[in-house]
Amino acid sequence: SLGGTHGCASVAVGSPVVPLGSAVTASCTVRSELCRGLERGKIRIAWMLDSEPMAGSQQQGPGGTEVSNLTVPHFNRSQARLWCLVEWNGTRQRVGMAEIQAGYPPAKPSNLTCMLNLSDYGLTCQWERGADSLPTAVALKCATSRAQREATGEAVTGCTPRGGGRRCTVPRRLLQLYRKMEIWVSARNALGTAESERLCIDPMDVAKLDPPTLQSIRSVPYQTDCISVAWEAARTSAHMELQCELRYRSPEDLAWALVPGISGQARPTQHCGFLFGTQYHFQMRCRRPSPGGYWSEWSPGRNFTTHE
Amino acid sequence: MPLPEFSGDQDFQLFLRKSLEFTRKIKGDVAALQRAVCDTFQLCKEEELLLVRQHLGIAQSPLEQCHSRSFQAEACFSRLCQELQSYHSSLASVRELLPAHADLVEQLQLDAANLSSNIQQQMEDLGLTTVTYPAESRGALPVFSSLFHHQVGSFFILADFQRFLETAYRALRHLAR
Repeated sequence: SLGGTHGCASVAVGSPVVPLGSAVTASCTVRSELCRGLERGKIRIAWMLDSEPMAGSQQQGPGGTEVSNLTVPHFNRSQARLWCLVEWNGTRQRVGMAEIQAGYPPAKPSNLTCMLNLSDYGLTCQWERGADSLPTAVALKCATSRAQREATGEAVTGCTPRGGGRRCTVPRRLLQLYRKMEIWVSARNALGTAESERLCIDPMDVAKLDPPTLQSIRSVPYQTDCISVAWEAARTSAHMELQCELRYRSPEDLAWALVPGISGQARPTQHCGFLFGTQYHFQMRCRRPSPGGYWSEWSPGRNFTTHE
Repeated sequence: MPLPEFSGDQDFQLFLRKSLEFTRKIKGDVAALQRAVCDTFQLCKEEELLLVRQHLGIAQSPLEQCHSRSFQAEACFSRLCQELQSYHSSLASVRELLPAHADLVEQLQLDAANLSSNIQQQMEDLGLTTVTYPAESRGALPVFSSLFHHQVGSFFILADFQRFLETAYRALRHLAR
């Protein structure tokens, strides 16, 4: 508005942000005693939406003001300026303005996944977001389960992606290890809030493990087609329940042979069915046994040639 | 040692498996800090520091409620919760002493607090009542009169914590099927 908060004129809108296509109402109040050069009773108020003239109604308002009301039935622009003008000396003077935005409530964030990094025990989550028509604040929320929250009053914490991105990391100090936590994404703009589906996970169950190490590979006496593999879990998962698998192939094989379901920490594992006098390449990987666990990378390879 | 009636409950067994793994993790981190104290201050053997311990009046948490002969779930779990909270605060002394390992000590403090609240939550889920014990002298942060005493104090905080974890691990394993 011109001339300070309550200067010569001021424009008020129902809401500066509206759903696309909905109606916009505005009023322009002109206080002639504050507009030097404007004669009371001869004020004619006009409107423009950006550069498009709009017709409003005009009547006397309280305290000798002139008030014009405008309704834009279907506001179809994502953003526009609504100008209030008055006639003066044969010219049209812009005396007030309001910016209006239009769009939709935020799209519901989806495909939320999380992974715990064992080097710092930070939980990194990522998700997908629809296109946002309005400035939208996005935050990852995380808390112990609702019942526990209500019982213990524990706060909802989480993290905020940089630059409205699609991933962020919850630091260890805000996590509760070895207990189910509720994790979700909240997107909020002027027209509403949308929340993703809620994950209910123990952060430890989505740990990304470091690969194990193949210590040694030996033939098994009197069982020429069998070998024994000694392996060790990574130090960062030495205390964990693990589910591991071994893969091997000879240079001639196109595909890997897979030995699933190796559990425990480091007991040698024995496998048979190998050709004699053949070189094989072995690798191993591990993950958490819980659903949603992430496989580690494959371990560095180890070659072994079976006896003739 | 009689097992409580809820010990067969599936959620309780999952809680036990998770707590056993969590305890193993904490024990590993405490051992790493004990190695750091040994490497940094040449304080490695408990038997060489018994006289100073006596002088410092460092209390050892008895945990008889968790021992086999007198095992009582409510009392044991309550004791574990309380002691874990106590170690959460007394580890601050260790953190001051080992700035190079501050992250590891902070992790340990967070883990101790988490394990304590996990046990507390499980007791509430089972409808067990929490028994409150008078805080040990270690409750408040100890004030050491010399750097040497601070080092020895930290040595025993870690040694006692390791022993406590061993007892806790045995109690939890006893309940796990």
